[in-house]
Amino acid sequence: MSADRDITRIVRSWLRTDEHESADRVLDIVLARLDATPQRRSLWPARRISDMNAIAKFAIAAAAVVVIAVAGINLMPASTGVGGGPAVSPSASSSPAPQPSPTPTPAAAVFPPAGELAIGRHSMIRGGVPFSISLPTAGWQSEQGYFIGKDVGVGPDGASFLFWDPDPQGVYADPCAHRLRPPAGPSPADLAADVSTIPGTDVVSGPSDVTVGGRDAIQVVITVPEDAPCEASEDSGFLLWYDEGPGSGCGGPPCPRYPSALGVTIRVWIVDVHGTRLFIEAESYKGAGPEVEQEIQQIVDSIQFE
Amino acid sequence: MVTDLVIRAQRGDKDAYALVVAEIADRFLAVARRILRDLDLAEDATQQALLAIWQDLPQLRDPARFEAWSYRLLVRACYAEGRKERRWVPNLRLLPTDEPISIDDLGSVVDRDELERGFRRLSIDHRAVVVLHHYLDLPLERVADILGIPVGTAHSRLHHAMRGLRAALDADARPPVREVAQ
Repeated sequence: MSADRDITRIVRSWLRTDEHESADRVLDIVLARLDATPQRRSLWPARRISDMNAIAKFAIAAAAVVVIAVAGINLMPASTGVGGGPAVSPSASSSPAPQPSPTPTPAAAVFPPAGELAIGRHSMIRGGVPFSISLPTAGWQSEQGYFIGKDVGVGPDGASFLFWDPDPQGVYADPCAHRLRPPAGPSPADLAADVSTIPGTDVVSGPSDVTVGGRDAIQVVITVPEDAPCEASEDSGFLLWYDEGPGSGCGGPPCPRYPSALGVTIRVWIVDVHGTRLFIEAESYKGAGPEVEQEIQQIVDSIQFE
Repeated sequence: MVTDLVIRAQRGDKDAYALVVAEIADRFLAVARRILRDLDLAEDATQQALLAIWQDLPQLRDPARFEAWSYRLLVRACYAEGRKERRWVPNLRLLPTDEPISIDDLGSVVDRDELERGFRRLSIDHRAVVVLHHYLDLPLERVADILGIPVGTAHSRLHHAMRGLRAALDADARPPVREVAQ
C-alpha cells in the first residue's frame, strides 16, 4: 500500500511539473474560425431538456466509433489544395450534394487534408491507384489526410475513415502480449487468412469472396472480445497488425498499428487492384447502430477505381 | 456566469463563446498536453475541441453540464490526435530482469523519463482517466461521467494505468534493462 501511495504521489507531482501552457495561439485560431464554423442546430425543443436525461444517457451508451482504413497504398497528397481550412462544406442542413466525379483523374485527386467533407464523391490516389469514395451524408471530417471521422454520439468517439500506409505486413500472434506472427504472404488471400485467425479475436464471417469497385476482394469480419485479457497485461493495447512504416520515423520496422478497442467490430476488405493489395478496414463499437453500419457499407460499395 | 455565457453561445452569440473559450482554453490545453504528451498535438486537439464545442453547443441539452460535456469533446479530440501519434509508436518493450525492485530517488530526471515512457505506452483511454483524476482532481464518478463509461471501468483503467506506471519506474530500478524491437 505504501508503494501505491508513492506512485500516486509521484504521478500527481509529475503531472504538475510540466511548464505552464498558454493557449493564446489556439484561442486566436479558434476565434478566427468561428465565422466559418456554423453551429449544428438542436432537434430538441429547449423545454424538453430536463425530460431527455434518460434518452441522453442512452445516446451516450449507444455512441459509436467506426473506423475505416484504406491501406496498401501510398500516403495521400500532402496538405495542398484546400489549404487546411476546417470547413469544406458548411453543414449537413445547408450543403447540397456536389456532383460526383465518376472518373477521377490524378490531377483532381487532392483529398482535403482537414475539415468537414461535403456529401458526395471524393477522389484520391494511393500508391498510384486512383479511386474515389462517395459520402452519403454530412458530418464526415477529414483529419489532415490521416483519417476522416464522423461523430455518431456524444461520447468520446465517433466514426472515421483511416487512410493507412502501407498495408499491414502481418498480424499479431498475441495481440495482448504483442508477439508478432511472421509477415503474411503477398496475396490478398494470404493476408485475409492471417486476419481471420488472429488469436483472441472472434470471427464473425469470412474470409468471403466479394467485389469492391468491380474488383475481386476478400472480406473478413472479426470482433475483439470485451473481456480480452489486455486489461490484465503490463502493456496496454490490443494490437492486431503491424507494418513496415517506411519513412515514418516509427523506429521500426515493424511498426504496430494503433491498439484496437475492446468490444470493437472490425470489417476488412482486401482488394486486388492490378496486383496492388488494397486494405480497407472499418471499425465500429457495439453501439454504432444500424444506420452507421449501413453507411459504412454504402461507402465501401461506392468505391470506384479508375 | 459561465452557464449564462453558455446559454448565450448556444443561441449563436460569438462574443459570449469567445468569453467561454478564454475561460477554458488554457486548462483544456494543459489537459490535452498531459494526455497526449506533445504540445503540437495538444494544440490541435484543443483547437478541434473548441470548434466542436461551438458547433454542437446548441445540442447540449443541459447547459449546467457544460463542463463535463466539453471535457468529453476534448478527450474525443485527444483520441483523434492520439491515433496519429500511435500510428508510429515503435514497438519497443522493456524486458525486465530478476533484479529486486526498488523506488529510490523519486524526483530524479530518470524517473521522469521512465514515467514519460510508461505513460506513452498507455492507451488514450487510460491516460485520460489518469489526467482527469490525478491532474484535475476529479473524483472517478465524475471522470466516468465525462468519459461516458461505467464507474467500475474508470476504476479499472486507473488501476491498470497506475500499475503500468509503477512498472515503468520499477523497470528503471532494475539494472540492466534490455530494450529490444520485436
